[in-house]
Amino acid sequence: MVADLKELWRFRELLWAMVERELRIRYKNSALGFMWSLLNPLVTVLVMWGVFTFLLGNNTDNYSVYILAAYLPFLFFNMSLMDSAQSVLSSLQVVKKVYFPREILPLASVISNFIHFVLALAVFFVFLFGVWAVNGFGITPFTWKIFVLPLLLVPYLALVTGCALLISALNVFYEDVKYILSVLLYLLFFVSPVMYFSETVRASTAKYANGELIYTLYHLNPVATWLTAFRKVLVPEGKIEVSIEGVATKVGPDPFNYPMVAVACLVSFGMLIFGYWVFNRMKWRFVERP
Amino acid sequence: MKTGVALSIRGIRKSFVLSHSGAASLKTALLWWKKKNLERLEVLKGLDIEVRHGECVALVGRNGAGKSTLLSLISKIYKPTAGEIVVDGRIAPLLELGAGFHPDLTGLENILYNGMILGLTRKEVNERMPAIVAFAELESQIDTPVRGYSSGMMARLGFAIAAHVDADILIVDEVLAVGDYAFEKKCYDYIDQFRNLGGTILFVSHNADSVRRVADRVVWLAGGEARMDGGVDEVLEAYLAAGESR
Repeated sequence: MVADLKELWRFRELLWAMVERELRIRYKNSALGFMWSLLNPLVTVLVMWGVFTFLLGNNTDNYSVYILAAYLPFLFFNMSLMDSAQSVLSSLQVVKKVYFPREILPLASVISNFIHFVLALAVFFVFLFGVWAVNGFGITPFTWKIFVLPLLLVPYLALVTGCALLISALNVFYEDVKYILSVLLYLLFFVSPVMYFSETVRASTAKYANGELIYTLYHLNPVATWLTAFRKVLVPEGKIEVSIEGVATKVGPDPFNYPMVAVACLVSFGMLIFGYWVFNRMKWRFVERP
Repeated sequence: MKTGVALSIRGIRKSFVLSHSGAASLKTALLWWKKKNLERLEVLKGLDIEVRHGECVALVGRNGAGKSTLLSLISKIYKPTAGEIVVDGRIAPLLELGAGFHPDLTGLENILYNGMILGLTRKEVNERMPAIVAFAELESQIDTPVRGYSSGMMARLGFAIAAHVDADILIVDEVLAVGDYAFEKKCYDYIDQFRNLGGTILFVSHNADSVRRVADRVVWLAGGEARMDGGVDEVLEAYLAAGESR
């Protein structure tokens, strides 16, 4: 695996070129071009805001901000895996004719989606700033916790990369994988705190005898832990309250649940190593695909 | 100019799993995961070839003799089942011209990415860009997406990129029979020039004339082994005679 990493490092310039290529191809035939990278999250942000403000009639202020803080990272996870699943298979013609480290293909998919994710975060911050100005400065747009964000992005990126490597390799041999993947991602959307909160889970499991256990098991899913962490880092203490055992608890203010973050870190980096290991075992057989 | 052994192929074996069902599915994998007695096809059965710098070796043999498999092994696309290949210098594989061109990207963009896939740095590609465009004779259309190119134009662009990789060893798999007569001549001129500069070539061809024109040694592959290895006329004569008597 160390030899594979060295080889990848030797080809790092090609990796950046492939990322650039992927970004260029995506908007090649569209009039607005790269503007779509900003328009997509902008539309997402506005739709969420409109739905939660007008249609759901949620009387809590800035509900959409809390949803978006988890939805955008989830979208990155979702898009990266969908793109990388096809990355090797769709380039099989080149893979059969030219040598280069094959992991460049899924990695380029992940990195180009990561760039979109960062752009989406920038749009999100502008939105946050707007909310802050409109709501009479009731909600502070940035707290010191924003500096934790890079620390959070590293293990999250490791998790996404690990899954992407695994799935892109498997999808070469079993094309069922991409269908299973879309079902799993759909499922993941609901078993992760995207449209609700970690605190909601604690509140609704509190009434069971082994509620604490259910809550812990729920957070063994690293995506759940990371989304909650993103929410805590990206948005400041708000007015959304969840009642836990009769006590109203605000969403977001409590500190990280460090043991859970530690477990998520372990799972994420473990996934990266496992995914790369599987990929390396399978990559020489891509061209011999029956 | 390099001297000594350019390419050393020692005891190379390569076998493939034969598949009768087409694309594999998860279902078959789950149902037959214990069934390890897959049918295997041994394409190369212990091959030893040594190519010195400056040599031009032609591989001949019937379809399925393992010629393309050998070229792919040298290009690091396959991993050998057994044996070892040692390469001294940079390889330019011309297994398929324009493999990896993206139809929606322009000629220039494809030159950049294809050149980098072939192992050039971004700086190197940019330096060679004008020469590549001139060689491909595509000055007027280089800014349009390649989906509008004809197959001959694609092949010209592909060859032009590969010709500017500055390789020590050229691996060619029957790709010169593309483009019009003028371009074919240009390709042969390039190969002559490449040889005069001390370059090494390993190529597959079914065309006896092009073998005679370029090669100075011929290896005849049959049944996964080197049946004959020697001078052009001697091996070609035996090979063609075997073909006729069949």
